[in-house]
Amino acid sequence: MTKLSASEPIGNPGKPGPGETDSTRDPLTVVRRSLVRQVARDVLVRWGAQIGIVWVGLLVVLAVLAPVLANSHPLLMKSKDGELSSPWVKHLSTADCTLLVTAVAFVIIVLTRWRASTKVWLLLAVIVVTAITSSIFVKQRFTSPDTYRDRLKSGEIEWAARAPIPYSPDDRQLDDPTARLRSPAGRHWMGTTATGADLASNMIHACRIALSIGFISTGIAVVIGVVIGGMMGYFAGVVDLLGMRLVEIFSAIPTLLLLLCFVAVFTPNLYMMMAIIGLTSWEGYAVFTRAEFLSLRQRDFVQSAIASGVPLRSVLFRHMLPNGITPVLISASFGVASAILAESTLSFLGIGLGVDEASWGKLLADARSSGGTFYWWLAVFPGVAIFLTVFAYNLIGEALRDALDPKVLKN
Amino acid sequence: MLTYLIRRILLLIPTLLGITILVFGVMAAAPGGIGGPLLNERGGQIGGANQQRIREYYEKRYGLNKPYAIQYLRWLNNISPVGFRVNEDGSLGRIAVKWPDLGESITQRRPVSDLLKDALPVTLILNLVSIPLVYVIGIVSGIIAARNRGNAADVGIGTSQLALWSIPTIWSGVLLIGFLANREYVNWFPTGGLTSVGSLDASFLPSHVDGRWQAGFLVDRVWHLILPVVCLSYGGFAFLSKLMRGSILDNLGADYVRTARAKGLNENVILYRHVFRNSLLSLITVAAAILPSLLGGSIVVETIFGLPGMGKLSVDAVSLRDRELVLGLTFVGGLIGLTSMVLRDVLYAMADPRVTYD
Repeated sequence: MTKLSASEPIGNPGKPGPGETDSTRDPLTVVRRSLVRQVARDVLVRWGAQIGIVWVGLLVVLAVLAPVLANSHPLLMKSKDGELSSPWVKHLSTADCTLLVTAVAFVIIVLTRWRASTKVWLLLAVIVVTAITSSIFVKQRFTSPDTYRDRLKSGEIEWAARAPIPYSPDDRQLDDPTARLRSPAGRHWMGTTATGADLASNMIHACRIALSIGFISTGIAVVIGVVIGGMMGYFAGVVDLLGMRLVEIFSAIPTLLLLLCFVAVFTPNLYMMMAIIGLTSWEGYAVFTRAEFLSLRQRDFVQSAIASGVPLRSVLFRHMLPNGITPVLISASFGVASAILAESTLSFLGIGLGVDEASWGKLLADARSSGGTFYWWLAVFPGVAIFLTVFAYNLIGEALRDALDPKVLKN
Repeated sequence: MLTYLIRRILLLIPTLLGITILVFGVMAAAPGGIGGPLLNERGGQIGGANQQRIREYYEKRYGLNKPYAIQYLRWLNNISPVGFRVNEDGSLGRIAVKWPDLGESITQRRPVSDLLKDALPVTLILNLVSIPLVYVIGIVSGIIAARNRGNAADVGIGTSQLALWSIPTIWSGVLLIGFLANREYVNWFPTGGLTSVGSLDASFLPSHVDGRWQAGFLVDRVWHLILPVVCLSYGGFAFLSKLMRGSILDNLGADYVRTARAKGLNENVILYRHVFRNSLLSLITVAAAILPSLLGGSIVVETIFGLPGMGKLSVDAVSLRDRELVLGLTFVGGLIGLTSMVLRDVLYAMADPRVTYD
């Protein structure tokens, strides 16, 4: 979170517009309101941002609850000899456990009345601890999903409470040879894929990839861009010259071509993919930060910080960064959208994630068979999901820009 | 200005070197190295002696048995206009001025320059049709939005264009082909490619041959290009229109507009003779950014519509790890991108007398 120290012009997001200095601002709007709170308030009143946040929130809920919503393993079942069991708990993966525990912890922590920083640290601790413990202790078992259907039919299971979509994303329904490429009907709300898996289930589980790719790769890109751009702006001279060459290298090659090179050569998993997208999209943030820092380093508060012997790290990241981060934050929101787009495009082109990861782009790629048949449900549903998610982030970015841009404020 | 230009052009060289080093490094860091997949693929099915011979040929041809640094320098020597001549056996001759040689594609067994010569026109046609379209629609809708600032028209144009911008090309392409070029639905357009069978033999313009109407080459080409051009352009004009709107609004608040109004000039004259021309300045900056991104965008469009352009070529080259082809493509792509950046700065200085680089 951006934290403002007292020496800085609070309530002056970004650089002042032309002909406008700090003193001309209405002092009433400047009084003690943190930048974060002010921006949040300005963003949340815009309907575009509201729609965007609602959609992203829905995706988060779907991503967390995926194993409860779409699962071949019954949530609760009673076998013939009267034994109650919950097979889905035994088949949770490490990611499932981490997400579920984190979500519960998040709700509890938000409801408490602790300080914001305590909450953030506590949540981070919970995530790290559950991720480590679950990766050690959770061992995923494999039970063929067909067995539940067989045993239900033969009466071996007396009754079972199944998930609303009783198919896991990797359940290829081997017991039903006609299950492949069925159009939406009956139990398959959105039809089935080329392998016979349920499309709706795949769509829900793919939310996770879309969300995590968007946030983490943009986070990586922002960190790289801010550090390099900050150095360039602060030191100027030779550092700037070299940094600009680096930026030019990355911006002259079309990003997609660069991504293709990296991805095709490394056959990535999800984490690799995040790193690659982050590594190839930092240059915009670097340029923004550089421009801000170039003008900021002449300002009095920076000069006085340097003069009073504040260490360089502190000058750069505690004093200058909060005042120069605005354009980066705005474009990061659009960056999340383009990271999601990049992942789905790569998966669509067939050089993205591995076979066992459900991704909207990969589902979309199956919509056209080589014979020319068009399976419309495989095009419409994943496509709508990609579109709405990208649109949501763009709407949020737009609202953020309107809220933070001093020129718009003036109008 | 001249000094600036010379400086910029000289600075292109390290950047181009950086681009090729980056891509070469990525290919070299791949599991199995640069030669791995090539040697397996070409030598895998053939018996011992032949396989050995092929391996030796490739190792000599591309210097695959040498360290990566040497391999890169060798490639650099081949593409540089001044450098060592390479003899038949791979040894280096004397320094001479020579024609840059991009090498031979490993998987297609043709010179890379030939492949590029075939592919470049396709991508250029796509972009030359899309760019004017993008600019005209973007500028017009930007003006409309700016004139109606705050109205329903402005909000409508803004939101719908943000939505258009968010539609992924992979989706629109698949939908367009699936619904408009499909016997099950509407069969109005071809599913892909650039020409129909037989249209290359037909006359250029529509004509009557043997009492039958013949569409001719031009109509056939346009018919094939409609869907790809739609896919390539709809995202761009949303972006341009926003930019145009913003810069018109900026200019409308400027002092010279107040002066013009005080003189009693017609509002239309102010908009189209004063503000419009100044607002175009910011579009120049974007033109350079749009060029490489259209090239990148054509990767998706060309793959979906099966057009044999630069994008399709790069997807094939990258997925087969064809080193010479990938390096050649990034070299040419990087050159285009960098040149357009320099061109942008020069154009900007020429269009706006306030900007000087001295």
